[in-house]
This record gives sequence, structure tokens and C-alpha cells, in this order.
Amino acid sequence: MVSFLSRLDNIAKRLAVWLDERLGWRGVWEAIFLRKLPKVNWAYTLGSATLFVALLQMVTGILLTIYYVPTPDYAYDTVQFITHDVNAGWLIRGLHHYGASALILLSVLHMARVVIYGSYKFPREVTWLSGVFLLLVTFGFGFTGYLLPWDQKAYWATTVGTSIVGIAPGIGDWLLRVLRGGQQLSEVSLARFYGVHVWFLPASLLLLIIIHMYLVIRNGISEIPHKDDQI
Amino acid sequence: MNDDNRLSRRGFLGLVTFSLGGLISLIVGIPAISYIVSPARKKVEEINFIPLGAADRVTVGEPTLFRTKITQRAGWIIDERELSYYVLTENNREFVALSNICTHLGCRVRWVADEEKFFCPCHNGVFDKNGAVVSGPPPRPLDRYEVKEENGQLFVAFG
Repeated sequence: MVSFLSRLDNIAKRLAVWLDERLGWRGVWEAIFLRKLPKVNWAYTLGSATLFVALLQMVTGILLTIYYVPTPDYAYDTVQFITHDVNAGWLIRGLHHYGASALILLSVLHMARVVIYGSYKFPREVTWLSGVFLLLVTFGFGFTGYLLPWDQKAYWATTVGTSIVGIAPGIGDWLLRVLRGGQQLSEVSLARFYGVHVWFLPASLLLLIIIHMYLVIRNGISEIPHKDDQI
Repeated sequence: MNDDNRLSRRGFLGLVTFSLGGLISLIVGIPAISYIVSPARKKVEEINFIPLGAADRVTVGEPTLFRTKITQRAGWIIDERELSYYVLTENNREFVALSNICTHLGCRVRWVADEEKFFCPCHNGVFDKNGAVVSGPPPRPLDRYEVKEENGQLFVAFG
């Protein structure tokens, strides 16, 4: 048994070397996971926590598309079908539902940490900026996703939410019609909210996450400021 | 550097991280697989007898086509589906229903009275009046269903 395990270990090591010679994965691994960090506290894990929940949202969101249909005649029925009839559907939907709130909460806490510890300063201004866009995209996810269950709360919350755009001076009414795909909330609104929720925003999110993570790794994370630091 | 057998702090934390990550992946992954394959599970349906029509429509010794409808729900749509059966009797007392679905690839077979055979239009499958394969690619006879007669009405077993 022991010799079998050590032989298996040996094969794994040789495979790792073989792959590293061709892919250079060890360098990537070291840059991401074995990089040098200053001594920081638990508040510095909020970014990773946000990333984790974002990944969870991607997985559960992809799973939901298997049964969800974004048309007014079936949207509500398919959500009920997922919740009550599909194996573990309640779990997948539940994770996505509560994950959405967790994602907003964690993003904002992460942002607060960056502000409190002054981590947005040189040389990390662009990291901060990409984070601002990430937050906007996250809000976009929340806003568009809220309509998709197509129940009373979804319908009226989105009616109110889109009406707010309508009061913008001059172009407000036009913007409202663009957002809703017409004057009223309709099947056109539902389809475009769905399209934005599952294509436009995920594409932007992925791109922004790559930029954000690259900058975090490239610049390193900031130290905790000391009270006798020069300002 | 430590001995090979002693776990360093870094090694321990790495192990804990991977174990937790693996655990979380399983907690999400196993339900996810169950979720995806969910519609493939067979629903346990008891056998129902659904009405076909009047028994005196059947000519003795000749398969007669009956159409009936059932309501079904596959997912979130409740739908009516049309079912067709050829009912056969030799004595007007015992009836049997033959499915009109070809056992080859699921096309609908048609009874041709002149030739006294069922013909499938797709790949020339031919069955005799009892549903046995005469020629062509079908691997087995037409499916048979139990039929019962009550007060001159025929009912076919479905499920």
C-alpha cells in the first residue's frame, strides 16, 4: 500500500515536471499563490471572499439557465419549477439569490477596507478604478437579476427602478424607453434584462476581474499604515 | 527545511485550504450534477386506463386506428398529447392495442388493408397484423398494450 502510494506520488511529481517544462505553470502558481505579502489582518481577506462569491454566482447562474426561460408566459413558472421540482433546485436558486446579496455586501466591505487602510493610493489608483467599475457591474447584475423571477416584487421593483432613469432631464424619457425596450415594462424588457444579465455583464465582469487581479498581483498588496508614517 | 515526515506550517495551511476548497466544491458540485440530470429520472406513474372509443368500431380480424388524448407535463407546460393505437380483435371479446410507433426509429406506421400489413414510411419496416416484424430494420414487434372493455367502451393501459 505504502509503496503503491509513493509510486503514485512519484508519477504525479514527474507529470508535474513534464507539464511545467511545457506550460511553465509553476511560475504562474508562484506569482499568484506564493507571492510575498506584508503582515496584514483578516480585513485583507475581503477581496478574496468577494472573488469566491463571484465564482459561486457564475456557477449557480450558469446552472439556472438550464431551466429558466426569459419570457413573461414562462419565466415565473420555470422559477417555480426550479424551486420545487428539480433536484437541488432550491439549493442552486437559494445560493444564487443569497449569493447576490452577499456579493454586494462583501464588495462594499472590501471597498471600505481599501479606503480605511488607504490602499487606493500610489501605485494602486488604477486597481481602485477597476474596482469602481467592478462595483458598478455588480450593481448592474443586482438590478437586472431582480427582474428575472418575474413575480410581483420583481415587476414593481423594476417599474420603480427604471422610472428613476425617466426623470433625468432632457433624455430621461428616451433612456427609459431604451432600458425597458418600450414605454412599458414588457416581454421586451424581460428579454433584454436577461441578455444583459447573462452576456453583457458577465463578459465585462470577467475582463475587469482579470485586470483587477493582474494589478493586485503586479503591485502587491499594501501594508497597514503606521501612525508615524510620513503623509 | 523540515524532515520529509514533518508537516510545516505552510504545508499544513496549504492542506487545510485545499481540503476546504475540495469540500466546498463537493457541496456545490454533487447537488449541481443531481440538478442537471434531474429530468432524466423516471417518474413513477401508476398504470391508468384511458378511454379509446366504442368497441363496435373494431372490425374483427383487422387492426382499427383509435386516437386519444392525454394531458402531460414534462416541465413547466401542461400539454395535450395525441396518442394513436391500432386495436385488434379476433372474437369481439378480447382486444389488444398495438402502438403505431415503429420500433426502429420511432416513425408512425400505417395499416394498409389491401396488403394486410403495417408499413413504416421511414425505412420500409413491415409488420404483420399482430405486430410481428415481416421485413426491414425494426428490431422487435410493435409494442402491445392491454385493452379492457366496459359497457361497449374500450380503455387502453397507459403508463
